[in-house]
Amino acid sequence: MKTRTQGRDGSAGTGKDGSSAATFDRLYRDHVDRIYRFAQRLCGHNDDAKDLVQDTFLNAYRGIKRFRGEAQISTWLYTIATRACIRMRRRRRGEPVRELSLDEFIPTSQGEFHLQIPIEGLTPEEALEHKELRRMLQQAIQKLPKKYRLVLVLRDMEGLTAKQVSSVMRLNERAVKSRLHRARLFVRRELSARGMDGGASRGRAGAA
Amino acid sequence: MPPRRRGAHPHPGHSKAQCLKVLRRLSAYLDHELPISVCREIRKHMGACPNCEDFVTSLRQTVRLCRHAKIPPMSATAKARIRREIHKAAGLL
Repeated sequence: MKTRTQGRDGSAGTGKDGSSAATFDRLYRDHVDRIYRFAQRLCGHNDDAKDLVQDTFLNAYRGIKRFRGEAQISTWLYTIATRACIRMRRRRRGEPVRELSLDEFIPTSQGEFHLQIPIEGLTPEEALEHKELRRMLQQAIQKLPKKYRLVLVLRDMEGLTAKQVSSVMRLNERAVKSRLHRARLFVRRELSARGMDGGASRGRAGAA
Repeated sequence: MPPRRRGAHPHPGHSKAQCLKVLRRLSAYLDHELPISVCREIRKHMGACPNCEDFVTSLRQTVRLCRHAKIPPMSATAKARIRREIHKAAGLL
């Protein structure tokens, strides 16, 4: 699907010099909401998200001549934003890379199988009216190690296909699916009874 | 990770290995990526293992919540400010 910014050939619709303010403004106008939403989901903070939007569109402007239309413009922008996010977080926090193993998600007590806040019979929209649930979900996503968070946000929140995520992340589809599965299990656990008490039950179990 | 007795299984009457096999495939199951025969096998296990059934339900709910979580849009003022900053940095002004 072509976006409004794309020309007939699927290119970014640049002029001869590819650098006009009008071309940039079109790109910005058509995609800023999408990239802000993505940035907000990744960063969790307004200021970081705005910085990421700025970095993404500045890099997009500088690289627009290299965009040949092989991918959708939105996928190209996700790729730029993802790279910018990785650089930004590395610079600011130096997050350690943490691997998630399937073993850690196996529930060990009855309370862990269900979500803490019951949402049976509710649509997701109705469930998300619950402020505490929204807060827990947001916190769970922010707690995910970055490489898992990127895959979960791209696939389950932005709605990209596994193939598109694989292109954005420069990973094979198998790796994308493996990270996605672990990310979902992590978020599920955070929303369960075990996630709710901030690990207190784990501490108690360990002390027993 | 909490300590777990080796060989202990929280689902009475079912083998832990079966549950683990199901757990490994749950995202592919929810995303309809598995062959019919495997889906049938998973459903059969869930029918006999209430904990796994509850687990799948909660994972499905989690994915749905992620898909429907909304983000308030950026204000027009902030959009205009960022646009100005980019124009300035890119020498478009």
